[in-house]
Amino acid sequence: MEPITRLMPLLAEAKVEGGGGHAETFVGTMFYVALVVLIMFGLLAVARKGFRPGVFQGRLANYSEQLYLFVNNLCVSIIGPHGAKYVPMIVTFWLIIFISNMVALAFPVAPTAILSFNLGLALISIGYVQWEGIKSNGFFGHFKHFAGPKMGGPLVLISVMLFCIELVSEIMKAVSLSLRLYGNIHGGHEAVTSLNKLWNVIPVGELLIPVKLLTVVVQALIFCLLTCVYISLVTHHEDEHEAAPAH
Amino acid sequence: MSYAPFALGFAALGVAIGLGLIGASAMSGMSRQPEAIGKLSTQMLIGMAFVELVFLLTVFVGLSAVK
Repeated sequence: MEPITRLMPLLAEAKVEGGGGHAETFVGTMFYVALVVLIMFGLLAVARKGFRPGVFQGRLANYSEQLYLFVNNLCVSIIGPHGAKYVPMIVTFWLIIFISNMVALAFPVAPTAILSFNLGLALISIGYVQWEGIKSNGFFGHFKHFAGPKMGGPLVLISVMLFCIELVSEIMKAVSLSLRLYGNIHGGHEAVTSLNKLWNVIPVGELLIPVKLLTVVVQALIFCLLTCVYISLVTHHEDEHEAAPAH
Repeated sequence: MSYAPFALGFAALGVAIGLGLIGASAMSGMSRQPEAIGKLSTQMLIGMAFVELVFLLTVFVGLSAVK
């Protein structure tokens, strides 16, 4: 462990301060956020050069087109025919989470390994879902969904209870989104650290990197997928249900 | 001596069984109907995410109990 930490000043600093203590300050966190944003905009700026009318040139342009098609397919298959207009938001989520998970492979800290950053992302996601729900169903129509089916007489009490439960579950959606991302990325770091303690000669924990690579992709996918599912829950239209074949 | 590792082990045991069940049934479904692979894998990932969350919640509760 020692020779490698001496080669990487950031790792060494993290070790001195007890595992990424330098990211607990605001400036430290913002350094990693800025790193992710720089990588993202750099890649996109390079990819943008390949966008010519007719044919796309350059490897990055092709990759970004593949990513767009993938997310477009995801949105349309989950949300339905009107899912294509949510693609920009989902692609943004994908890029931020994926790149910052990749940063987490190489650095002791990454934005997605910090709980407050994840909570911010999840709040943005849930807020966007509410906004889209209000936009497609109207303000009262959106909140009427929370109360469940229409009931008369004394059963209104059940509707009130359902409304409260749904409100709590909306908040818990944000909590579960953020905790899932944080737990997976930060948990990967913890696992590597404790495996490294086993044998001081070779950092055995680095053998976990293939598993972490899988986690990187899956977590970005899960976040985007769940956002799509939440959007599809609030923006479904009654006529589309009847037109769809029975399944 | 802290018993937190045992708790984590038990949580991991249950969650692993759940993930295995989800994965196994998704696999058999996919092999029976290869044309439904897209839909099935999406549903499988959603189910796995919710099962995994249980383990993560256990970890956080365990950590807060230890501290």
